[in-house]
Amino acid sequence: MRDPIKYVFIWPAFLTVLLVGLFPLIYSLTVSFQSVRLVPPMPPRFVGFDNYVSLLAQPRFWETVRTTSLIVLCSVACQYVIGFAVALALHARVPGERLFRVSFLLPMLMAPIAVALVWRMLLHSTVGPINHAFTAIGLPNLPFLTRADWAIASIIIVEIWQWTPFVILLMLAGLQTLQADIYEAAALENASAWRQFWGITFPMLLPVSAAVVFVRIIESFKIIDTVFVLTGGGPGTATETLTLFAYQEGFKKFNLGYTSALSFLFLLVIMVFGVIYLTLIRPQIEKRI
Amino acid sequence: MKRGAVFLLCLAWLFVTLFPIYWALVTSFKPPPAVNGGPTYLPWIDFQPTLQAWIDAFSGIRGDFVRPFVNSTLIGLSATVLAVAFGSMAAYALVRYTFRVRLLAGVLFALLGIGGFLLFRDLGLSRADSLGAAFVLALAASILANRLPLPGPVLGNNDVVFWFLSQRMFPPIVTAFALYLLYSEIGREGVKALDTFWGMTFCYTAFSLPIVVWLMRDFFQALPVEIEEAALVDDVPRIRIFLEIVVPMARPGIVATAMITLGFVWNEFLFALLLTTSDWQTLPIFLSGQNSYRGDEWWAISAAAMIAIAPMMVMAVLLARLMRSGLVLGGIR
Repeated sequence: MRDPIKYVFIWPAFLTVLLVGLFPLIYSLTVSFQSVRLVPPMPPRFVGFDNYVSLLAQPRFWETVRTTSLIVLCSVACQYVIGFAVALALHARVPGERLFRVSFLLPMLMAPIAVALVWRMLLHSTVGPINHAFTAIGLPNLPFLTRADWAIASIIIVEIWQWTPFVILLMLAGLQTLQADIYEAAALENASAWRQFWGITFPMLLPVSAAVVFVRIIESFKIIDTVFVLTGGGPGTATETLTLFAYQEGFKKFNLGYTSALSFLFLLVIMVFGVIYLTLIRPQIEKRI
Repeated sequence: MKRGAVFLLCLAWLFVTLFPIYWALVTSFKPPPAVNGGPTYLPWIDFQPTLQAWIDAFSGIRGDFVRPFVNSTLIGLSATVLAVAFGSMAAYALVRYTFRVRLLAGVLFALLGIGGFLLFRDLGLSRADSLGAAFVLALAASILANRLPLPGPVLGNNDVVFWFLSQRMFPPIVTAFALYLLYSEIGREGVKALDTFWGMTFCYTAFSLPIVVWLMRDFFQALPVEIEEAALVDDVPRIRIFLEIVVPMARPGIVATAMITLGFVWNEFLFALLLTTSDWQTLPIFLSGQNSYRGDEWWAISAAAMIAIAPMMVMAVLLARLMRSGLVLGGIR
């Protein structure tokens, strides 16, 4: 159909995304090849790849890449396992399913800032209930937010708490698309629940799983709000993530060229992870179908 | 036996999910000694609940949270309305019509955008002016180029949808920082964009559009074509068909999409952190400020957190109700 009206329909959205979403990137790409400082003010100067080279030579950059990847991989893996298990449980028609569903949805709709504030209370060493419970059963009082490894673990826990609902929601939707007659056939052959899961449910849901994990990986890499409130990147720079690092560079030092270069390197990191993930997962999906 | 284990698993996860929310709610009613003297759990048994934190919050002596709340509501609602309106229109067009975009025209846009910007700036225009000029030039050139029989692949509707979605894959700091630079350049020209209602609304509209287009496309695809075709035969204009037939039929989908968009804008932190300073600060920014200068006044922080969470909890209940009618299923495919 050749109908000019179709442009009336699509242009408002197209133009908004182009103007606000994509076009500024062109400006910031050119800035990333310059040396621009606002404080102290300095006229922009073309420096080629200098910003990129000095970033790649900086250990702090690689540490943030490592910290971010660690948080992403651990939290997404746990989210997937727990989320899938809970979705299976809900799908088995437990009593009170309706109440469970609404409650399980809650964390992902809450502002990450508010979630991080609440968890800061929970993990507090003296007034927090978690350490209170730990000491009550004889465990040591753990320095959740003040020691590097515990701080990373705490961020992972908060991420799991907030985003497992997303996995539950989508896996449950996936489970509901499965036909019942396959399971009836399996039950006739006396296949155990465990074998039914690995033989039918898991392979059938592999495409949904791949999509869910992909979305979670991409989204988790953007993490800043939780870290911002929970640890502020500390102790030291032990829990600094890529977004937080870029923010600190841009808004504490106002080194614009450097920050733009950093954000494009960040884009590259995400793309590398995305491509690795897709090349790993695609043969698996194709093999099973 | 097996059902018991499954039920226990659900109960355990319910406890994990609800305990932090319960803790925030309970803490907001605690008097200071009940917080600082170690954890207390049950109101009336462990401690005597007080409304002090809430009275303080609403009287505004602990930082004026009414303003960020109003800001968040205004920005959230207007960005949601714009994004859902623009997004459903685009999604509808992507379902009912075919689009062809030549890859070369897209490449031309990027090249002319960068080249034009550098050229105009060297010619002596200010940075904001040369950006604007380069944008218009690149857009006009690529629209013209799209009509020419250029070689190279031709992209169809699915690629256009993917183009929208690829927006969500960018790390937001890239676009947020670019947008901050752009807004401050525009500001230097005398048009204030940083820390304004319109600046925030446009930014959130643009970043919600990809999800809206993606979700609404599925909802529209599920609608029957026949009614629209009958109306077309009667020469009813497309706009009226869209507004009077399609939109009412897709209403549940539109409502669900709007709620998801509103939730996204309400909770968003990074863009608000970069693009607002005082007048149009949103709730998440206000909350993170509470954290740094309220230190250990946990009862006040809990009340503030509950205020930010409450609207979304209402929405969760509404969403779950929609979910049962099989709505979200359609949106996932």
